[in-house]
Amino acid sequence: MAAFGNSSCWSTPEVYKHHEQQNICPSRPKYREGRRPKAVKVYTINLESRYLMVQGVPAIGVMTELIQLSALYGAVEEYRVLDEYPAEEFTEVYLIKFQKLTSARAAKRHMDEKSFFGGLLHVCYAPEYETVEDTRLKLQDRRRYVNRTTQNKAKEQDQEDEKSKNPMSSDTVATTARTSSGDNQRSSDTSNKGETSSTSHGHYLGFPLLPLPPQEFPPYRHAPSNDLSYSYQANQCRTIPTEDKMGSLHNAIDTKQQLAPIVSSVPSSSGGDRGIVKRLSKNPPPAAPPRFVPRTTDLENRKRKMVETNKDSLFGFVDKNETLIGPKLPERPKMDMADESLNTTANMIRNTLKKVASVPEVKPTKTKTKSAKPRRRI
Amino acid sequence: MMSGKGRSATGSDRFEYLQTLVTEFQDTDSDEAKEQVLANLANFAYDPRNLEDLRTLQVIELFLDMLTEENENFVEFGIGGLCNLSMDRECRDQILQSEALPLVTGCLSSRREETVLSAITTLMNLTTAASRSQTTDTAVLQCMLRFSISQSPRLRNLASVFLQDCCTEEQVARAEAQMQGHHPTALGIPLPKD
Repeated sequence: MAAFGNSSCWSTPEVYKHHEQQNICPSRPKYREGRRPKAVKVYTINLESRYLMVQGVPAIGVMTELIQLSALYGAVEEYRVLDEYPAEEFTEVYLIKFQKLTSARAAKRHMDEKSFFGGLLHVCYAPEYETVEDTRLKLQDRRRYVNRTTQNKAKEQDQEDEKSKNPMSSDTVATTARTSSGDNQRSSDTSNKGETSSTSHGHYLGFPLLPLPPQEFPPYRHAPSNDLSYSYQANQCRTIPTEDKMGSLHNAIDTKQQLAPIVSSVPSSSGGDRGIVKRLSKNPPPAAPPRFVPRTTDLENRKRKMVETNKDSLFGFVDKNETLIGPKLPERPKMDMADESLNTTANMIRNTLKKVASVPEVKPTKTKTKSAKPRRRI
Repeated sequence: MMSGKGRSATGSDRFEYLQTLVTEFQDTDSDEAKEQVLANLANFAYDPRNLEDLRTLQVIELFLDMLTEENENFVEFGIGGLCNLSMDRECRDQILQSEALPLVTGCLSSRREETVLSAITTLMNLTTAASRSQTTDTAVLQCMLRFSISQSPRLRNLASVFLQDCCTEEQVARAEAQMQGHHPTALGIPLPKD
């Protein structure tokens, strides 16, 4: 039971109720039994923490081994022995701070109730050691993760719906892509505008706004801010998704002028956006209403590549299971030189730099073989 | 983490399992069984992949119903489930639409620390431009101000984040001014014991 003593740092730390191991629930009907017998307890984000408390560590000088074991589940930022915490005889209590909540979760799951050098470990979260900032970040990360996962799930379902309707939709894609009717553009435009500005601006951010020939390419995959409208539209007008995306890209030239002032309002929910909210000051202005202009193959390919990498780097959806802590830096800052030949040169330089950057991976093996040779003394 | 994972994780299996849980909850007379099922559902609500199924099964309403129960476990598990669910925007909007905010703020006066913590987090999740006037009204702010000087670090931290992130400085100053000269516990809302 928690006893509210004074809050001086010299006082005995509280033994909180959530540190105590509750009794296993004995009366669960079979269909509801989990793999391991567990207590009746609800886990919320408030109970979880990057801080873990490990009790029952035998006091035989195995701190290093304990930390090594913990580090299997993720990077450990800090750790210390909690001398002040009431412990059973001949055991120690440790506080371990992980870099990520997911690591702490994994460590708890694997280490709790496990034997360790003859003792039985009891591992629990220790959120009371958090600072206000720790708590705030924890909640923000959690919200971001939840909304990202629900979006991804909605997308997956869309794709499954697509696949099941595939025989139908491929024909419609082909015909509507060719005709590029005004209706489709308009409907996708309104569907665009129905969503937050950041989603529309996100998909053309970072590459020159040139009208593209009809191709199947989905630049519009990730909406940084979760929209109810997005999943609704996903269900409603998704029979020809590529057409929607084509239509919206197509209109990007017209709509971007309207959206330009709203660019800075990137929602904080997707950390990946922060680094890249840089509007192109000058865009190659197509004077006429959007129409297909023939392009060289190189430019198309480069653009496609840029969009593919932009997809992930912009919105940070590289790994579903990864929890973002803080903003993600963009992979490649893009600059539009407002001139085709300069852009071409810039791209070539960028690609070369990429190749150069990838070389160091090869080096370690090379140096190993080199060390066998006698060295030249200079 | 307790999530009742004794079954396969395929979509329709999971939905059926959740449905069985909800059915048991509605049919059983045993409070003990109800508590177990409620805790199960609240834990399932922690995994965002289940949210759509839970919405379909109207588990949001189920959790909200629990907030008016006498049984403190029911309340604690119910608000815990809402805390987990309300992280998702669609669930958040559904909760706001059901006009159940007073039920959530009511949990701030619970004796149970977990209940209060879940309520604060839920309120944070439910704070939008539209709902702000309700989620940050004077009574709530005064509550948070008292929590922010509590002995419990978790309570202090959450209340501080709430005051810093969900309220304007003027709001907080106004609420503080109204509290001047009052002994904290005399305001009527008891601090949670544990």
